[in-house]
Order: sequence, then structure tokens, then C-alpha cells
Amino acid sequence: MLPENLTAVVARNETWSGASATEPYEAGWAREAIVFVRALKEPKGALPKARIEISADGMHWCAEGSEFALPATRDAVTFQRLTHFGNFVRVAATLPDGAAITVLVTLHLKA
Amino acid sequence: MTDIDTLRRAIREADPQLSRFDPLSRIICLDDFDRGMCGWTQLVGNYEDSLDAMLPGYAQHSHAMLSTLPNWDFGSHGGVDGSYALKIATRPRKGAQNVAIKRLTFRRAGPIRLEAYFTFKPEATDLLLSETDIRSFGFLYDLQIGDASGPGDRVMPHLRFLNAQDGEHIQRWQFKRRTTPIKPIGTAGKTITHYHLSPDDWENLPGGEQRLCYNEIPTKVNWHYLRFDFDLASMQATGFQVNDRVFSLESFDCIRIPAMKNLWCMLNLAFFAETDTDKRAFAYLDSVCLSGEF
Repeated sequence: MLPENLTAVVARNETWSGASATEPYEAGWAREAIVFVRALKEPKGALPKARIEISADGMHWCAEGSEFALPATRDAVTFQRLTHFGNFVRVAATLPDGAAITVLVTLHLKA
Repeated sequence: MTDIDTLRRAIREADPQLSRFDPLSRIICLDDFDRGMCGWTQLVGNYEDSLDAMLPGYAQHSHAMLSTLPNWDFGSHGGVDGSYALKIATRPRKGAQNVAIKRLTFRRAGPIRLEAYFTFKPEATDLLLSETDIRSFGFLYDLQIGDASGPGDRVMPHLRFLNAQDGEHIQRWQFKRRTTPIKPIGTAGKTITHYHLSPDDWENLPGGEQRLCYNEIPTKVNWHYLRFDFDLASMQATGFQVNDRVFSLESFDCIRIPAMKNLWCMLNLAFFAETDTDKRAFAYLDSVCLSGEF
């Protein structure tokens, strides 16, 4: 059987402002991941970088160290490659006052 | 019992993968999540032109995941006979739901049997038993007759284990016969929507009280067996068992709405979780076996 290969949409049409993150996702079976973020609407304000966070339990989170730009215009896509991320993973961003982005976040995971 | 039935039973009982199921003569799918997602995906709501058209009940859904049932206090729990289970997680908001679905069609309108090993727990954010934090665990079929078989309906049998409501530990099986009004989506006249998992219109299954093993701290789980029999010819439920209890379906009925122009022979099956507090509810499926007589 071919190794598992999953496209998981973990945030769809969610508008982020302030402290925002995707729901915790378990991907311990996967050796690698690419996180894609697409802006579904025109973003507002100054966008910060998004960061990858990892967790032992899905409740207590650490910054994994990877940071990447959020898409600056509608339908723009950004991504981040990931390896060695344990089990729980999420994408987080802290948006300043006046900034907002409506996102589609997709995890592409491979065993 | 014919020779072929005896032979089939002997082969299945000697196979550890199948021996814990009691399938009908043909296995449509045997989904063991140690092998991956096995064709289970998220239930996305209908839309046209913009995702904003999606009903909020569906917009909250996210992707199920392959989980080892990891816990902060003792680590991975694992499944019935392997490391992984399918995890359906709600958001941490009272009343939030999530659904995992598999979409098939049927080749003969006859008896089908759904079997699964399942469990559920809330996210262990408190050092408390938390036995009333999960509102429900449930499952459903979404079915429609064949295009040449009519007249007939789209039929949606639903059952849920109402674990708790507003902090009261209820522990009983319920069904529903009504969905929300059907609403057109967009302008092309091709898509409609309705929210069959709305919190309204659930009815108690007579005799459906059941105290499931929950265990004694918020992280330990025990796996439960369920079996649901349905006849696609009569579009009636014919059997329901959970662990050692067989329930009467005399009062059971399904949501029945007019057949839709693009859903012929549909055989969808889904499992769902609902939370009763601002805490994530987790429903887990170790394995699912769908079988039929054809």
C-alpha cells in the first residue's frame, strides 16, 4: 500500500483578528507537512507573520520556530514546509488592531 | 444455513480483523484506521459563488484526524488492536459539532449493516471527571432511492447517544424525524441546504437509556461496539445494538424529505460529536464495517 497522504482543510473561511490559530491537528503519523494559507477575501491592515506551533497534548503550545508571511492579497497563497513536528500542530498568528484576514488553511501531510 | 454461509463464517471468525464484527454476506468496506483515513472526510456544507452561503452549522466543521488518543498524563492510548483511531473533534464552544462522513452509492436496495467500535471523551483541560461535558455522540445515514425505483424519498436515519444536556447526565439514545426547512443556495437553482444536525427535534428512543463505561478520570477511555441494521428496500431500520444491549426500534423513524435530482442511490454514512460546554468534544472510531446482502 502507498504511504498515507492527506490533504486536511483545518480552517475554511475563518476570519482572523487578534490572537488567532487553527484548531489542534494530530499528525504524528506524518513525516512531513506543508501548510498552505490562502486569503479568501482582501486582507485588511498590516499583516504579521504566521507561525507554526507544536504541542504535546493539544492544550499547551510552543512556537516551533518556523514563521512565514500571510498572503497579502485575495487568493494569494503562502506556505511553510515542516518536518519533525511531533504530533499536534497548528498555525497561529497575532494580528494587530485593525488587521484581519479570512483564511483557508490546508495541511498537506505525508507518511 | 447453507454450506457457503458456514464456510464464510468460519473464514471470518478465523480472521482477527473480521472476527469482532458480525457482517452480512458482502463486506462493502472494512475501515481500520490503522490503515489511514479509509475514505472518511469532513462534511462540508453546500455553497454557490461564496463560502459565506454555507450554513453556520456546517461552516464549523473541520477535518477528522488519525489519532493515537494522546493524553497529557499517560501518553498515547491507542485503539482496539493498533495505534490509530479516527478522531472527530469539535471546537471549544458549547453546542459545537463536528462530523466525519463517507460517501458511497448502493448497487442493490437491500439490507445493510453498520458496525463500529467507538468511544468519546472531552478535552482534558480540567483535572475532573468531566462526564457531563460531552453532549452527544451519534451517527447517521443519508440515503436516496435509485433513479428508476421511484417514487421515493431521501431518507436520513439519525441516532445519537445524548450523554448530557446543560450539565445533566442523561445517557440515552435518541432519534430524529425532522430537519430544518430546505433553503435554496445561490441563484443557479442547483443547490439547496438544510441542517439535519440542528439541536432541535431529537426524540427519546423508548427503552434507550444506557449507562456506557466511561472510566474514572478524564483521559481513560473504553471502546464500545455498535451495530445498526437498515433495509434499503423498505427504507426502515431493522436493528440496533450497543455493547450488550439490543434496543427496540418500534418507535424509530427517519428524517424523510423529497428525493433530490442529483442524489440517486446515495449511501452516505457519518459519525458526529457535540460538546455541551466550552470544551472540545472528541469522538473516536477505532474501526467501521459496512456490509450488505447482495
